[in-house]
Amino acid sequence: MTQLRISISSSREQFDAFAARLAQELDADMVLSSPGYPAETTSVVGVHPEQELLFTEQTTPEAVKHFCFDTPGVALGYVSYTYGMLLRGIASDKPNNFPLGHLKKYRGWVEYNAEQGATVISAADQSMLDDLADRLNTALGSAPMLPVKGLPKGAPVVSLDQAGYEAGVSETLERILSGHTYQLNLSTKFSWNCPDLDPLALLLVLRRDHPAPFYAWMQSGQHRVLSTSPERFIRVSDGHVLSQPIKGTLRVDKHTPEAEAQLVNSPKERAELSMIVDLIRNDISANCEYGSVEVRNHLSVFAVDTLLQMYSDVHGKLRAGRDCLDLFFDAFPGGSITGCPKLSSMTIIEELEPHSRGLYCGSMVVIRDERNMDSSIAIRTAVHDTDSGAFDLYAGSGIVVDSDPAKEYQETMAKAEKFLTLGDA
Amino acid sequence: MHILLIDNNDSFTRNLEHLLVSAIKGAEVVVEPYTRLPQLDLTAADLIVVSPGPGTPAEYPGYERVFESGKPVLGICLGMQIMNEHHGGETGRLPGCVHGKTDEIDWLGEQQTVARYHSLCVTKVGDGLEVMARNDQDVVMCLGSRDHRAIGYQFHPESFLTSNGGRFIRDAIAYLDLQ
Repeated sequence: MTQLRISISSSREQFDAFAARLAQELDADMVLSSPGYPAETTSVVGVHPEQELLFTEQTTPEAVKHFCFDTPGVALGYVSYTYGMLLRGIASDKPNNFPLGHLKKYRGWVEYNAEQGATVISAADQSMLDDLADRLNTALGSAPMLPVKGLPKGAPVVSLDQAGYEAGVSETLERILSGHTYQLNLSTKFSWNCPDLDPLALLLVLRRDHPAPFYAWMQSGQHRVLSTSPERFIRVSDGHVLSQPIKGTLRVDKHTPEAEAQLVNSPKERAELSMIVDLIRNDISANCEYGSVEVRNHLSVFAVDTLLQMYSDVHGKLRAGRDCLDLFFDAFPGGSITGCPKLSSMTIIEELEPHSRGLYCGSMVVIRDERNMDSSIAIRTAVHDTDSGAFDLYAGSGIVVDSDPAKEYQETMAKAEKFLTLGDA
Repeated sequence: MHILLIDNNDSFTRNLEHLLVSAIKGAEVVVEPYTRLPQLDLTAADLIVVSPGPGTPAEYPGYERVFESGKPVLGICLGMQIMNEHHGGETGRLPGCVHGKTDEIDWLGEQQTVARYHSLCVTKVGDGLEVMARNDQDVVMCLGSRDHRAIGYQFHPESFLTSNGGRFIRDAIAYLDLQ
């Protein structure tokens, strides 16, 4: 397929307005980044989908490769945590009405690199290219954001209430003492009934008020994905691999050097991150050249929402003969949201969590070719079911031997805060 | 050197593979899952490495054939505990279990920073095994037997938190008379 391409100098405000307009008018799917974060990425918007891969239990990584690599153009979508359980051989009989994964390829797509200040439009034909360029040029004058309709109000139904969550933490501590896990990520699910919710408007307002490096919006059947993740899973750039696990969280009113020092100097938080860094090193090593895997910027900190988050950069070089999806599926799901060792921790998570995670803790991905990809850890992520009206949100925290059940519950609530307070606005 | 690395469902096995390759000139490492232990052909291996992993040695039966194969064996963490129990030793819960943290040990007359990930520890040393290192709290950090050509580390030389992981691999190779 011939692709036409045009690059147009654009401000971030112009691109943001353009992306919102494409989602509102053309049902676009999007991965949207915000500048200034260590996991900042190129924003990508896909319009006019022409091929789709909806994952089933029979979908193999090989089939995903064919979908992504047999034809040119970006593939955008998600891979669920539940699919990761299948990959790792962990059975579940919990109800799950969310697809295992969904990727789309598009007749037109738009990319914005904030550093270069340019919007690049790719399209299958000249009329689509002209149409998208027109929409970009008039985007700034488009309608202002309206108040969000149908926001969740009142207390959600939770899969693990405070007592249940703290009991789960206590049980996890016992499993740690017995040597079956070193660290385990325990989550809870919040559900509201919001039949009148405008989920796209909500996503756009959240992005304006709570920027983060890995926002995503996707239409998947009756589901609408709203991902506001701060965390990169794996990026591959011309074969250079980068994973940026986040572990260690401190809720703060203001990002100060003192608060940062408090986080970095906490033995518990340091150990949490170090464990996951060793796990990520392991998970990328199977597909990276010997001697290429290294850790940089260990125990770094950035602020997102009202949270300070600690992270590290784990680098590697993709082996010859391996592609980014070999790497992705061998390392999936991300260690920061399973715990360590991964297989044992995932088995215990399945036992302790009453809900199916679905997309939560899976990944939003943009796959360009065999050696270029970027992906998030789908945390701070909600799903709206337009048929049932259900609005589901999840949050969790990493449990280590030094964890205090009450504090872990508070950390979990802090991560969900921007969603939990929506109806109060 | 042909190295067989048996993976006890761990999440650090590939780190160990990379460390073995970087520390031992000419090393070729084959990684096999624990589930294949009964079928594994041990004859081609110059060295067998038993990986870390979750749980207790009792949950990993079948290692007799490894320790009775006559091949040199290096065990890491759980791998060391499995080696110890094979020789009649015992394992118990470690008071104040430690994960993802460093410790200082005296190793062959030098202070070394090592990474620790363990909930369990050696509570009784197996017959014929020499304790080659303990930490300040008297926790066994290295066990070996020249007669059996076996050595084990309780800490994790493959962790990025261990300052000089390659040295521990080379010292193990020397101890096992594989140089």
